[in-house]
Amino acid sequence: MILAIDTSAGTSAAVFDGANRLSFINFDDRFGHAENIGLAIQAVLKEARIVPADLTLVAIGRGPAPYTGLRVGIAAGIAMATALNIQACGVITLNAVARKHPVGKILVVADAKRKELFIAGFQDGEQVISPSVSNLQDLENHLGFQQVSGECDASLIGEYAVFAVDQKLDLTDTSALYLRSPDVTPSAGKRVTG
Amino acid sequence: MEIRELTAADLPALMQLENALFGSEAWKETPFRSELEGKFTYYFGAFDGGLIGYAGLHSVPASFTSDIQTLAIATAHQGHGLGRTLAKKLIAKAFALGAETVFLEVRVDNQTAINLYASLGFEQIDIRKNYYQPSGTDAMVMKLVLDQPIVLGVESSCDETGIGIVKGNRLLANALHSSMDEHAKFGGVVPEVAARAHLEALQPTIAQALKEANLTMSQIDAIAVANGPGLAGALMVGIGAAKALAIAHNLPIYAVNHLVGHVGADVLENGTVSLPTIALLVSGGHTSLLLVRDLLDDVELLGETIDDAAGEAFDKVARVLGLPYPGGPQIDRLAETGNPKAIRFPRGLSLPKDMEAHRFDFSFSGLKTAVARHVEKASDGGLEISKPDVAASFREAVVDVLLTKAINACELHGVKRLLLGGGVVANARLRQVAKIRCGEADIQLRIPRFSLCTDNGAMIASIGAQSIMAGRPASGIGFGAESTLEVTKVQTL
Repeated sequence: MILAIDTSAGTSAAVFDGANRLSFINFDDRFGHAENIGLAIQAVLKEARIVPADLTLVAIGRGPAPYTGLRVGIAAGIAMATALNIQACGVITLNAVARKHPVGKILVVADAKRKELFIAGFQDGEQVISPSVSNLQDLENHLGFQQVSGECDASLIGEYAVFAVDQKLDLTDTSALYLRSPDVTPSAGKRVTG
Repeated sequence: MEIRELTAADLPALMQLENALFGSEAWKETPFRSELEGKFTYYFGAFDGGLIGYAGLHSVPASFTSDIQTLAIATAHQGHGLGRTLAKKLIAKAFALGAETVFLEVRVDNQTAINLYASLGFEQIDIRKNYYQPSGTDAMVMKLVLDQPIVLGVESSCDETGIGIVKGNRLLANALHSSMDEHAKFGGVVPEVAARAHLEALQPTIAQALKEANLTMSQIDAIAVANGPGLAGALMVGIGAAKALAIAHNLPIYAVNHLVGHVGADVLENGTVSLPTIALLVSGGHTSLLLVRDLLDDVELLGETIDDAAGEAFDKVARVLGLPYPGGPQIDRLAETGNPKAIRFPRGLSLPKDMEAHRFDFSFSGLKTAVARHVEKASDGGLEISKPDVAASFREAVVDVLLTKAINACELHGVKRLLLGGGVVANARLRQVAKIRCGEADIQLRIPRFSLCTDNGAMIASIGAQSIMAGRPASGIGFGAESTLEVTKVQTL
């Protein structure tokens, strides 16, 4: 039994039993991750008629996505796995979205704020451009690709986890995929007198 | 019928009932008065017209035990469950005070009372021969074991990831991961850097706390988490984790105030927070003066910094002097050889005109600028400055204004207690001057050990435990981070 959690956009959770999705919920609020994470997890467990002890794996959306919200889901996923003493796996959201487009040249594009984009490219399901930060101009370098929205949710994360378990992919890294350093530079120190 | 705590004013009614019930074996007035006035005794009376029953408890903080001293019901009111009501009241009080065991003595021939206590879970552990005089009746010693709640607390409001575990008033674990080193090159806490560090520290810190306490998650009774005040992005990591921990084992969750946590830390040191008290909380993020009348119900903000926190001022001045971050320990070391009276730096918000609007508020940004001016002026004029003198004079200005206002608050509110908390308590001069000035003003000073003064998870767990012990409801699961949470809001429901 898999619990999937994703806070890359809204706050969403899903429960999967093998390949079947038993439940799913998404709170669309882009600023209410801390408020909604518990409600989302409780709701999907209830709808799937399971208790936390039934879980065997927690699948966590690692982003890339706006970090403040993203971290809430990752924190919850790590804590859930720790508390239940079960495995956690991390899924890159762009990869999860790409699974929906197994044919052709696909560029998954997600909002990175500050006029930037998170992108990853796939050709017939194989990754050809690693997750990276881009801007609108740079997108012109990828003219042969069909652009698709990188908006992700726990349902896609769960589907990818099911696939990854089947394919025995290594998803042990559950850290946030930041792709950008914190927006801060050491200041030289200012004088107070003129 | 009304049940309330008894005072010495109730003594005449009490003695009348005591004498009527126990005759030659009744307690005398003098010892009874000292029972009622005792610091560690709690007497409750039931009134219906007059006093119809009373019961008393003795509980020394940090002893983790309570004793039922007496329980008596007027003859005409016996057999209606009043004894049970009062006994339960005492047990609830003992529980709230952190008792893990409650003891009592009862006459071996008082089968009604023995049955009552047995039905409440008391067990016989001993017989004391000839205990009651002059009759020589034996006493049965009975014991009740109370299961104090085991609470795991999560703290992530600034740059420390803290996971603490307490059982009632007892500290079991206080695991901490600090991201201070990662902020050093920026000269202060960077929120995004702090939030990233929390996420990475989460799992190892939880594991460390459980190991320290020698517990597994399934043995935890409740989760507590600081939901403010603090850095929103940092708080949200702790909240996400805490909610999942609670859901995983179907535990109640308590969203508690970080600043009140600093006050509650003293419970783990002292068995109780002696109240009322003035609390001076000084760190890199806060400089707050509180009046605490009740840890869960009555915390008043008397004043706080209107610009920089005191710890922040230390960091900024350290930088001016070319010292590394964090500035507190650096300045403390340098100041040891300096003259604190060499330069008269300003004491913010301490002029007569400030007393109306900012009597208990602080301001350190002008002080920092004054130090910078002093240093720049000297360097522009090609003069050598004594860094130890600057450090000592600056430190003296901070310590002076903090303690002058704190002690004034004690005097004004007639509260002869001062509790210090926050990371700046590490400052040697602050502790030294606090001891001197509190001694002069006859104020009782409390400084918990340093690991409980800085941000930590145990203090958050402690507030959660106090809430449970006082019978408070848990928070819902839908609370969020409140970066400017007011200190009056001890728990977010």
